[in-house]
Amino acid sequence: MSIYTYNGAAIIAMAGKDCVAIGSDLRFGVQLQTMTTDYKKVFQIHDKLFVGLGGLATDAQTLHQRLMFRHNMYKLREERDMKPSTFGNLVSSILYEKRFGPYFASPVVAGLEPDGKPFVCGMDSIGALETAEDFIVTGTNSESLFGMCESMWRPGLEADELFEVLSQCLLSGIDRDALAGWGAVVYVITKDKVVARTLKGRMD
Amino acid sequence: MGSNGGGFSFDLCKRNALLERKGMAPPSAWKTGTTIAGVVFKDGVVLGADTRSTSGSTVADKNCEKIHYIAPNIYCCGAGTAADTMNVTAMISSALDLHRYATGRESRIVTAMTMLKSHLFKYQGHVSAALVLGGVDLNGPHLFTIFPHGSTDCLPYATMGSGSLNAMSVFEAGFKEDMSREEAMALVAAAIRSGVYNDLGSGSNVDLCVITKDGVDYLRNHELLMGKTYQREFPVKYPKGTAPVIKERVIPLTALEITEGEAMDTS
Amino acid sequence: MASSRLVAGSAVADAEFSRDISLGTTIIAVQFAGGVVLGADSRTSSGSYVANRTQDKITPLLDHVYLCRSGSASDTQAIAGYVQYYLAQLQAERGGPVRVETAAMMAMQMAYGNKNALQAGLIVAGFDADGGSVYAIPLGGTLLRVPFAIGGSGSAYITGWCDKNWRGDMSRDEALDFVRNALRHAMARDSSSGGCVRTVVIDAAGASREFIPGPKLQPTYDELPAPA
Repeated sequence: MSIYTYNGAAIIAMAGKDCVAIGSDLRFGVQLQTMTTDYKKVFQIHDKLFVGLGGLATDAQTLHQRLMFRHNMYKLREERDMKPSTFGNLVSSILYEKRFGPYFASPVVAGLEPDGKPFVCGMDSIGALETAEDFIVTGTNSESLFGMCESMWRPGLEADELFEVLSQCLLSGIDRDALAGWGAVVYVITKDKVVARTLKGRMD
Repeated sequence: MGSNGGGFSFDLCKRNALLERKGMAPPSAWKTGTTIAGVVFKDGVVLGADTRSTSGSTVADKNCEKIHYIAPNIYCCGAGTAADTMNVTAMISSALDLHRYATGRESRIVTAMTMLKSHLFKYQGHVSAALVLGGVDLNGPHLFTIFPHGSTDCLPYATMGSGSLNAMSVFEAGFKEDMSREEAMALVAAAIRSGVYNDLGSGSNVDLCVITKDGVDYLRNHELLMGKTYQREFPVKYPKGTAPVIKERVIPLTALEITEGEAMDTS
Repeated sequence: MASSRLVAGSAVADAEFSRDISLGTTIIAVQFAGGVVLGADSRTSSGSYVANRTQDKITPLLDHVYLCRSGSASDTQAIAGYVQYYLAQLQAERGGPVRVETAAMMAMQMAYGNKNALQAGLIVAGFDADGGSVYAIPLGGTLLRVPFAIGGSGSAYITGWCDKNWRGDMSRDEALDFVRNALRHAMARDSSSGGCVRTVVIDAAGASREFIPGPKLQPTYDELPAPA
């Protein structure tokens, strides 16, 4: 067994036209036993920046705390929010610092840059950064998520379309994952608002 | 937080080793199972790379960048663990930046090569970056290969990565001394193509980088080999309201307040 | 985030990442009346792949002292780098040429002091006020003054040949011939030696390099000559 499949997760981030969306499943389990069904794996950093943390839940939580700490320190020094691209590099260096004893977490970053351009990036557990123009997935059954996104994503999705596409990809991908599921949460980030929607999913 | 001193942090090593002893396989890092190559030609060097990054047998990125910036006159192709190639080239790039500020001179390729090899040698192959370093300085064009353990070779034509055998066979058949820019670009592109088509770890497109004393031409996706072969004539469109939403909430924006302070008393 | 690692590339090329680049080598140095001759093949391998077929394994430590490297490419390059640095510093401090023995001693101290972390077989040879001299530094870090030395994986094939054909009274050209023939025979039999033959002659006139491309080497027993 891999340590990555201890808790289970499914996360997708997608870029649209002047908008981004990021979503995760809601299950928190320990191996095959489900503990909680309202466990979000996506965290808000600031108004227009979210990070999804898959992998081992304990490391994901620790990483989230460190990221919040670093972002708060940045805000105090700079009196502004961090750009998503800067934040991506921050996460990457925090992970690479532990190159030889990594956090078992693979983050996905989604946000809107100050100029309104969507920014989506992901990385492995030691911080190999990958920025994407389309989508980033991570989770215990990333192959399914990859397959859905490869066929459903198209350029220039408006916020409403983006939400529907991401939701279908997430729900369908999750259905083939025993370690993730129990509904999902999706955040759609646009210029003037963030909408959080909870989705109904299979409960087995 | 332990993140101010620089260098690596080993505080999770004990825990991770314990987990591994309990049968928890460690995660596989993203690799660039790669074809990278370079040649020296009449007035410069051409570097080339494919654009596939893999995690196990899954393609993690279909169009990644493997030719990294080192200095205005030096670039470096990276193969091996993706995080290592990115960070090691970024570290040496920033060290050379400071070096240029201190000396006021153009960076030399041997300087970059020596810094890279001493870093890799220090970590005894655990930082697994296999590099092809090329550039032009006051001594003319230079091309080096740098192996993960820190050994280096100076060569007129070089390849690295899982597709290095394919690329090298193209070079051995087609390399000539004092090639023109166009000949060199065509040869490197052919070498990378042989990796893309015949090596499973390499794929997608061909990136080139031509460096001469007059400047750099970074040709991102010089050859777009792998577009989508299938086409959805009528893309599936989900009408609004397809996804079963059970709760919707608009998160209000917390506009950051900027309070103008009083002007500083400078009298 | 796939947990299984199936295909990352061909088996040969995958080994290239994990394995240290090795100078599976033949190196040799001989003392003659007026100086020394050093010689080496030019193959570096990574498993069964030839990573470089024109490698220069004869590294200058000073103008009049050279080093033949065998074993791990990275280890021997690191040793050579440090010794070059310290010798240059010493020469600058003293304001005159450093003796060959001093250079050999310094290489030995690097090799012996880090013997558990290194895989390096070295031969140091050069010319100073006392004439030519050859020092062998095998794996454990012993320092031996010898009239001639052979090293690397290919040396096993030519021990007998060298013992039979070596003479203490060779001229410069005879010594150069001795070195070239020894290398030719070792490269024919040892799969991790090959490529071309590089030699360095160091005498009162300074160091001079020579290079014989592989196809120009005289064929040994049962070998076919290279096509014209």
